[in-house]
Amino acid sequence: MSRKFSTVAAGRWLITALVAGFFALPIAYLVSVSFKTKDDTLSGGFLPSTITFDNWPHAFNSVPLVTFIANSVASSVLAGILTLAITLPAVYATLRLGVGGKWLPQVALSSYMAPPVVALIPLFYLLKQIGLINSVAGLVLVYGCINVPVAFWLLTPFLRRVPIDIEHAAALDGAGPLRILWSIVLPLVLPGIVATLIIVVILAYNEFLLASTFAFGDATRTLTVGISLFQGDRLVNFGQMAAASLTGIAPVYLIALFMQRHLVSGLAHGGVK
Amino acid sequence: MTLALERFDVDGLGERRLSAVRRLVAAGGRGLWLAPIVAALAVTTLYPTVFLIALSLSKSSLGSPFRAFVGLDQFGRVLTDPVFLAAIGRSIVYGFVGSALQLVAGFAIALLFSSLITGGRLLVSLVLLPLMTPPVMVGVAWKLILAPAGGLLNGWLLAAGIIEAPISFLGTGGWAWLSIGLADFWQWTPFIVILCFAALTTLPDGVIEASVIDGANARQRLIHIILPALAAPLASIFVLKLIIAFKLFDLVYVLTFGGPGFDTTNAGFAIWKHGLQEFDVAQAAAETLIYAVVIGLVTLPVVKLHAALERWDT
Repeated sequence: MSRKFSTVAAGRWLITALVAGFFALPIAYLVSVSFKTKDDTLSGGFLPSTITFDNWPHAFNSVPLVTFIANSVASSVLAGILTLAITLPAVYATLRLGVGGKWLPQVALSSYMAPPVVALIPLFYLLKQIGLINSVAGLVLVYGCINVPVAFWLLTPFLRRVPIDIEHAAALDGAGPLRILWSIVLPLVLPGIVATLIIVVILAYNEFLLASTFAFGDATRTLTVGISLFQGDRLVNFGQMAAASLTGIAPVYLIALFMQRHLVSGLAHGGVK
Repeated sequence: MTLALERFDVDGLGERRLSAVRRLVAAGGRGLWLAPIVAALAVTTLYPTVFLIALSLSKSSLGSPFRAFVGLDQFGRVLTDPVFLAAIGRSIVYGFVGSALQLVAGFAIALLFSSLITGGRLLVSLVLLPLMTPPVMVGVAWKLILAPAGGLLNGWLLAAGIIEAPISFLGTGGWAWLSIGLADFWQWTPFIVILCFAALTTLPDGVIEASVIDGANARQRLIHIILPALAAPLASIFVLKLIIAFKLFDLVYVLTFGGPGFDTTNAGFAIWKHGLQEFDVAQAAAETLIYAVVIGLVTLPVVKLHAALERWDT
């Protein structure tokens, strides 16, 4: 019995190791390739045969990576704040002030269903019309609006769990809804707000299709679009491509590392009510 | 505001009128809370829809839209274009097959993680990383692994003597779709793992213990207890993954650019190519509307099934 038990446990750990290996492989290989020489990238081995550090500075020199990173960070963080500023009052009003009722969550959901390619051409003309095409401000506006359904959906369960008695008590003390939201509800749902903010910021940071169409100059491009250049018109160099990609992934992984608890709970609560 | 109104409050009639006014003001005030979200949804959904309808009915190019009214010509052209219809077909098949495989694998991995005595939560945090990786970088990483010259997979297969010459995974029809599917699987299965893991933790411990005492084996427990209890959340997760799969673009762009030929051109990529590469925005608009309708039609039964499961669940 105990023998059978230990075989089962060992099998479980073996499969777990294989699963973990599969999910770690691409990133591990990216790290390895970023230290390979140009000839070595054609050898097909996992580890570099000789280690070179040249790819990293070259990646930064062949495209303006620093500008791309700055554009990505600025557009995604500002857009995340905009998304929350738009969504938080709406979720609160739907749950507590009796407006928005059933239609708002449904409209938000169906608007999430549409693929982003639907908004691509119309928003291109809109940004051109208001003079924000090829600008970081334009991206902030677009991302700020386009991630609203996701934020709506993630925030709702967090706000719903706030005990309504506390809000009633505050209302009896004469606090208006805006004040109740700001000084009572907000501190209580801060973990949920942080999780939602991180998720919408990462969605904006990772976005490619809209960014490639709305911000196309070297001064306005975001990192995902910049990375895609490594294999278009500019020279394909696997080592530099890996180094640049890792540079772009690093900020997201740092956030994931420090905020993993928030992130997992935010995703889990939103996904399975 | 209230003060100014109260000054008119002199008789009973005024009182009644006033409370009506006050209610209206209050309703207007509450409506203001929704003004930003309504504006945002109008910009991202309503305006694009109206714009696309207008665009699809007119003769247009990227530089000068709305040059002449052409009626439904564009729709006729799109609906008789075998290349685009095939692209829609690819999107739909890919969405259902890919999402189903990822749901099964993700659920299995979540079961595995939750059965481990220690480390389950740590592993859930680990699989968070693929999910957070920008899709463009996911594409780059898998491109390096799958490359014919110097790719890791070809290197391994050659070294193990399984193949004699490198395979061009991204340059051969069937392999190219498998490659996109593999990269997509790597990125999105973790999402399903996280959601399934959370759903599994909502199961009351007592239920599973009772079944163990009753002598149910692992398979019976899964089929008769865990799966029925989680049917509704699993259906939600499937719908969500389906919606995400219909948005597939970045991996196609980075890994295959729709090729070889049109082999991996899905609807999203075809629309982008017509509109932004060939500048035929009117045709792209008609294609977008048709694709949106098709997505709605194929998702509806799944959503209905989900609603039914939810009713059955409660």
